[in-house]
Amino acid sequence: MKEILKNILDWLEPKVNYADLRFVQIEKENIEVENGILSSYNVSTNRGVGIRVLVDGAWGFAASNNLNKIFLQETAAKALDIARASALTKKEDVKLAHEDKHIDTYITPITKNPFQVSPAEKIDLLVKATRMMIKDKVKKSEGSFIFYKTNKLFVSTEGSELEQTIFESGGGITAYAIGEGDFQKRSYPSSFGGDYATRGYEFIEEMNLLENAERVAEEANQLLLAPPAPEGVTDIVLGGSQLALQVHESCGHPVELDRVLGKEISYAGGSFLTLDKLNNFTYGSPEVTIVADATVPGGLGTFGYDDEGVPASKSFLVNKGKFVGYLMSREDAFKLGLPSNGAARAENWNRIPLVRMTNINLLPGNLELDKLIGDIKEGLYLDYNKSWSIDDKRINFQFGTEIAREIKNGKLGKIYKNAVYQGITPEFWKSCDGISSEKYWHVWGVPNCGKGQPGQAMHVAHGTSPARFRKVKVGASK
Amino acid sequence: MKDINSGKELVNKIKSFIKNYDFEIIASESKSELTRFAESYIHQNVAEADLNLTVKIINENRIGTVRMNSIDEHTISKNIEKAIEVTKITPKLDYHYRLLTPQSYKIKSKYSKDTADFTPLNRAQLVKQLIKEVNKREYEAAGAFKTEESTLLVANSEGVFAFDRGTKVDFNCVITRGNSTAHTSFIDSDINNFSINKITDELLETALKNVEQIEIDPGVYTVILSPEAVAEILNYAGYTAFNGKTIMEDKSFVCHNQGKKIFPETITVCDDPFDELTMPLPFDLVGYPREKIYLIKDGVVKDGAYDHLTALKYNRKCTGNTLSPESASFGALPFNLVMKEGDSTIDEMISGTKKGIYISRFHYVNILNPMSIQLTGMTRDGTFLIENGKLGRAIKNMRFNTSVVDMLKAVDMISKERQIKEGFVGPTVAPYLRTNNFTFSSKTSF
Repeated sequence: MKEILKNILDWLEPKVNYADLRFVQIEKENIEVENGILSSYNVSTNRGVGIRVLVDGAWGFAASNNLNKIFLQETAAKALDIARASALTKKEDVKLAHEDKHIDTYITPITKNPFQVSPAEKIDLLVKATRMMIKDKVKKSEGSFIFYKTNKLFVSTEGSELEQTIFESGGGITAYAIGEGDFQKRSYPSSFGGDYATRGYEFIEEMNLLENAERVAEEANQLLLAPPAPEGVTDIVLGGSQLALQVHESCGHPVELDRVLGKEISYAGGSFLTLDKLNNFTYGSPEVTIVADATVPGGLGTFGYDDEGVPASKSFLVNKGKFVGYLMSREDAFKLGLPSNGAARAENWNRIPLVRMTNINLLPGNLELDKLIGDIKEGLYLDYNKSWSIDDKRINFQFGTEIAREIKNGKLGKIYKNAVYQGITPEFWKSCDGISSEKYWHVWGVPNCGKGQPGQAMHVAHGTSPARFRKVKVGASK
Repeated sequence: MKDINSGKELVNKIKSFIKNYDFEIIASESKSELTRFAESYIHQNVAEADLNLTVKIINENRIGTVRMNSIDEHTISKNIEKAIEVTKITPKLDYHYRLLTPQSYKIKSKYSKDTADFTPLNRAQLVKQLIKEVNKREYEAAGAFKTEESTLLVANSEGVFAFDRGTKVDFNCVITRGNSTAHTSFIDSDINNFSINKITDELLETALKNVEQIEIDPGVYTVILSPEAVAEILNYAGYTAFNGKTIMEDKSFVCHNQGKKIFPETITVCDDPFDELTMPLPFDLVGYPREKIYLIKDGVVKDGAYDHLTALKYNRKCTGNTLSPESASFGALPFNLVMKEGDSTIDEMISGTKKGIYISRFHYVNILNPMSIQLTGMTRDGTFLIENGKLGRAIKNMRFNTSVVDMLKAVDMISKERQIKEGFVGPTVAPYLRTNNFTFSSKTSF
């Protein structure tokens, strides 16, 4: 495949300012079990080539599943035509931040190849876990696993040649307690399908699904009988799983430089973190330090190189409360006179790289969880996302969680259902006065971050440990 | 799959590898091109050709499903072997899996050769025209302009063979000048129905009014929703309440309200592939013919949409709403949501409103409580006060937390005019609605 791509690159080189070609092949295995019965087992392979060209300072991109050399050459010619059409509205030439030539390979380090574990073993684990959850009012249980092996080959007119093999594993279980005209769900280890990582099957084994199934089902049963969360303004602690989505929506998205520059305004929206705020804006309290780190072992947003051939890196977005950095592609970084921090990622061969999150991590503090909760006289502990929404500049947000626990005089108390909390992003992060220590820190995989037209679902992650926020508006869905 | 004959050839080729097993096949091929613009220039411009083949093997009530996007003999045979292997190691289903028998189809997708042949240059020229006009008023344009040709084939070993080809034009745009913004969208099968002048006029008309927004307090308001906003609400309601699987699992609003008249008689919502404005698919993804089903009829809660698996498992009738095997565990979605028109004009709806709010569009809608269909989301791109029967000052964006049930109960005016807007599967046809019960819970700063 590499030779075919290099031949096309040679053909393109005299016609373009820049070109890159990406071959991507994704193998996927997806297992779903309901109430102890296998409901679906799907395997798929998907492959193709995407060709991106910069001609006269304007972009064109064409992609095809047909790997025949002649057909790919036609696809390259199509990309040239598209770039010439783009130039019709050009304001200035697209320029790319400098990047060194890289020739390298990267393979996700794994212990146990998930594709070499027998389907029967995987199905059996889910069957057992989902059967264990059927108890009392839990009439429905779900469990699922998903595994990916992605091979990527990247070549560019700048001489880069990169081969990457990325393994991903993920899954989880959910219990639904149903009755009294209501239903309540509890998930493990996280909501919306569980947790995900660039790791092998060892990641699934470490989840201890069987050890947690009955507890999760019991919490679902309790939630069905629980009162709704109280309304008011109170102190809260967000558990790591919910905090991951809070970081995602209120920090990860607004620091995407393409949003800031207006490139997503018609669809996903813009950002309140405008260029004038860079190094000049208090995003949160001094407790709050957030990094983009595509090098964290096992993070779902971990890789060797992004889809523009930029090495994975770690950079600060918020440092001790100050807003200090964006997620950037080469094109957008050039506008700020900066190098790219390796955040241009494409979902597959048929999509262009966009500015995307990698692992956006809230760094841990130094508090024990007991101390974090212990300093609250009256409040709520909220965890596991159920609903999320934020305005198109990422300022006004509202989240709902699967479960809330009362905090009274520093101790966890009764369970509440249907909890929601609302806030204004910088005010909320400024109210953060404590983050628990590394002992509680975990990188949560989020496999469904949506962006772009045509749409792209990106696999990203967020390292978090439970954190405390003061005077937050809470209530319950009705 | 250029035509029905090449579709039949593909099925025969696949059959030769499957031998004596029962099977279902879905093959979809698309040529899709999209021109994206922002800051008044084309910043992303893409084209994609792809073909996806899904083969489901059924062996003694065990199912193995494989998906591939290459149809060379080696890939097909290797994947089919894998699917057969899977059926030998997976447990049996807890219900009897029956294949659909051959059906006849009453409708076809709409197809326009002009849409299929539309070029990147054609799209760029129209985008340039739009940009030129809005720039004259110092607005920047951002949006996406897609043209697509797609082919779908569904077949099985009982002799089902369904083949369809369609085209789609999908355009959306936001124009901005500081906090003054406006949005519009267009969907059709035929590029000849697309008018960039009409789009430009609509955008500028709203944007020029959407200036100097004032702040109002959250609370319960009378609102008039645009067809775009109504379509979004209907899609979330369809997703969370009218999925037959969640109804069977006692997880839907429909469960405890079926057969009850809880809405005004003017409220009728259906999944209707025969509506003159919609863009139908003739069949679902196991080959069931699409049919008109009522979700709410004359204010009475009827039933949901059912997929093949849920219908088999719970002994119900499949309504022609089966999704792809990858989405099978979800259940079903309405494909072509349609809300029945009323008898008012939008001018009458506004002039008959003493105090209210006009909502052009929502942003980031999500489900808060599935049993009451309580949704949350933000307004954007043009929210206006209505005072003494006139569309007045623009207001800053607000968050709503409102139950679709409560909202529809309080609908007292529906427009004659309906528009086709984007939906979760196929498009949605929606009118303007006025409701006296819409709850805003908080505000934002712009």
